[in-house]
Amino acid sequence: MTSSTITPTLPDARTRLKVTAVHGSPALLSLIAMVVIFAVAVANQPGILSVPGLTLMLMSAVPLVLATQAQMLIMSVGDIDLGIGYLVGFVTVIAATVLQSSPLLGILILGVIVIAYAALGAIIQKRNVPSIIVTLGMSFVWLGLGLQFLPTPGGEAPAWLAAIGRWRPDWVPAPLVFILVATLLGWLIARRSRLGTRMRALGSSPATLEKLGWSLTRTRVLTYVIAAALIIAAGLMLASQTRSGDINSASNFTLMTIAAVILGGGNFSGGRALPLGATLGAVTLGLITVLLSLINLSSSLQSAAQGLIVLAVLAGRVITERAIRS
Amino acid sequence: MSTSAPNTAVSYPSPNVVAQPTIRATAVSKSYGNTHALNGVDLEVLSGEILGLVGHNGAGKSTLMRLLAGRERPDAGTVRFRDLPVDHSWTGPAAEAAGVRMVYQELALCSDLTVTENAWLSDRRKSSGVGWRRRAERRIIDVLDTVFPGHGIAVIERAGDLPMAQRQMVEIARALCTENLRLLILDEPTESLGVDAADQLYAHLGTLTERGVSVLLISHRMHEVIAHSHRIAVMKDGRVVSVTQAEVTEDELLVAMGGEVRPDAATLDRVVSAESAGPSADTADRSGTRVAAVANSGATQFEAYSGEIIGLAGLAGQGQEELLQKLWAPGTFSRATQVPRHRAYVPGDRQTSGILPLWSVAENLTIAASRAISRFGFVNTRLKRELADHWVSTLKVRGGAKAPITALSGGNQQKVLIARAFAANAELVLLDDPFRGVDVATKNELYALMKAEAALGRSIVWYSTENKEMAHCDRVYVFRAGRIVSELRGSTITEERIIADSFDDRTGEVR
Repeated sequence: MTSSTITPTLPDARTRLKVTAVHGSPALLSLIAMVVIFAVAVANQPGILSVPGLTLMLMSAVPLVLATQAQMLIMSVGDIDLGIGYLVGFVTVIAATVLQSSPLLGILILGVIVIAYAALGAIIQKRNVPSIIVTLGMSFVWLGLGLQFLPTPGGEAPAWLAAIGRWRPDWVPAPLVFILVATLLGWLIARRSRLGTRMRALGSSPATLEKLGWSLTRTRVLTYVIAAALIIAAGLMLASQTRSGDINSASNFTLMTIAAVILGGGNFSGGRALPLGATLGAVTLGLITVLLSLINLSSSLQSAAQGLIVLAVLAGRVITERAIRS
Repeated sequence: MSTSAPNTAVSYPSPNVVAQPTIRATAVSKSYGNTHALNGVDLEVLSGEILGLVGHNGAGKSTLMRLLAGRERPDAGTVRFRDLPVDHSWTGPAAEAAGVRMVYQELALCSDLTVTENAWLSDRRKSSGVGWRRRAERRIIDVLDTVFPGHGIAVIERAGDLPMAQRQMVEIARALCTENLRLLILDEPTESLGVDAADQLYAHLGTLTERGVSVLLISHRMHEVIAHSHRIAVMKDGRVVSVTQAEVTEDELLVAMGGEVRPDAATLDRVVSAESAGPSADTADRSGTRVAAVANSGATQFEAYSGEIIGLAGLAGQGQEELLQKLWAPGTFSRATQVPRHRAYVPGDRQTSGILPLWSVAENLTIAASRAISRFGFVNTRLKRELADHWVSTLKVRGGAKAPITALSGGNQQKVLIARAFAANAELVLLDDPFRGVDVATKNELYALMKAEAALGRSIVWYSTENKEMAHCDRVYVFRAGRIVSELRGSTITEERIIADSFDDRTGEVR
């Protein structure tokens, strides 16, 4: 890390590219893993390489990518949301019941979820409670509420929502469009907006942010509000695909989103947000499931195989990061 | 860093302009618990002047600075800025709005954010909507180019990826990213900067004062304060004991602060008698065994023998820290590095990688010595207490062994960290610029401690940005551009020689 003596002060395009590559390098292994998994899947089943094939393969990743972007924002301020899975499930329940029968009330409930998240952010900041505890508690609240509204999977998503799920253009896989939009959204919020800068500052060094006169509470509350909006979007997308509600439909999202963020170059300590990496991580995790069923691995072993692949990629990430740093 | 005064002559505010006080503190007092940090301080900073502020650690400089910047309220007395009414509440936001900026001693950048983003966080100018990032980038580059030409900082890099010297430049530059700068408070701004950058900074301060900006300069580097300040205030025990014009000598200031730059004989005696070992007469004697060696790409190989104090000198950030890192963690497969099994390391950045903030002094002190104080894997509390008490009394750590470490002043925290390294019974002790912002009296105690510990057969490798300190070493390696360019020993270790070698373009040669 020695500095050269004479450097053009405005970073030129090459420097920019290089620095961006170094900053994004933790996500590289997730990209490689995704490409490898995709290649193996195509070798097994060439039919994937078509618009309908890609649509089927990527469909399940869309809600996961949205929820992962939300988790990434929360992790960028140094928190972890353990309630995402059941909240996504709860949103599908609302979508399949109240939103269908009385849309206004449904929208109101979704609004209350956002307000609840704002309150969570405020409590975590003001009372200094670990986010893990608060969100874990909330996950049981979502579960209980979901069971109250819809004890068994069922209901029916509103027509407009089902229409989104049915949208299948010929020229491009629809899930790819949703995934790209979600990633772009995450990137704009976390990396380009001024609020995103404050979020990462909060995760990096709260004392500094406070010393410079910014409100930590406002930053954290806004982070949670935006995350809630993304989680609701994830729930609605899931409901649009399944056209029904099920509180348990996304219970594995909680740990999947955390794994996806880490896989995509994030860290637990906060301060970093790599939206593209988070998406790559989420898609990789989604593809692993598809691949393992394609190669006829017994379903009882799938979870173990999925875990081993994630561990391998993470180990690779540690090694490459060390190599880049030295 | 140089003893020869820089050529930039100090220009006084022109006499026909009646210098108005930019900020005036009247009879301010401040206590933290039982500690009276400030005891009725009167101080004013005139418009267009650089006021130097010197004093020991714990003299109240940092507290006074926080009061002036509105971060804290005084218990008694008033802080008045320019024409603001006396009862105007002087808070952080009010100070910001009035044009007060502060550069912190403990670097306060978000390491995960880019330089640009860090600069934007502290820049209160309106920058609405799209393109804020480009504007912030342009602003910080403008300042960096103006103050530190040839700084070599890519502003899109993360602040945490920059070397210390560049981070310090960013810290200074971002305080200058403002339109209405009236008062700039600098706390040890040149501790991490190289000579060039420090000179650039002082030159810029000169142009700022010509525009009527006031500067409050806090530094332990006497010669810099003397060379660049219009007036110098000396603090001692929570009071301003004297305000002088700048024509004083370093010694006069030291006397005013109650210090003297000499190895502290009393501590030397205490340490040696406590360790119950006769001081070896000649520490420069090379009869000791070689305890560490690092192959170097330059002509000179790094070697450390037992009983030696070895200095690593040169401009800041020329590879000294990398060498320490190599000695501390050579890696499993490294054949080029020979190190002993038991090593101790004192980091330079005590806030982030030194102290364990939730623990007491005793716990902080003995954490590395668990081998010596435990039986069958369990820590023996009696041995632990004895060990802690021994070091606390040897080094006169204020507050005692039971005090929480965060309650100590910076200098005393540093004592604890250094005591921790020696308490660990390591053959090789690595010091990474341990005396950043430590007062003279503490330094003298610690020099004496190092000499005594080296006499007991330890080998101490010491990196310092203060060339004067190198006189306490048996041998000195001077670094330049990541390599050892020269090895000095004995009487050849002089500040002039180190500076000359630091800038020497020729490849290194063994002297």
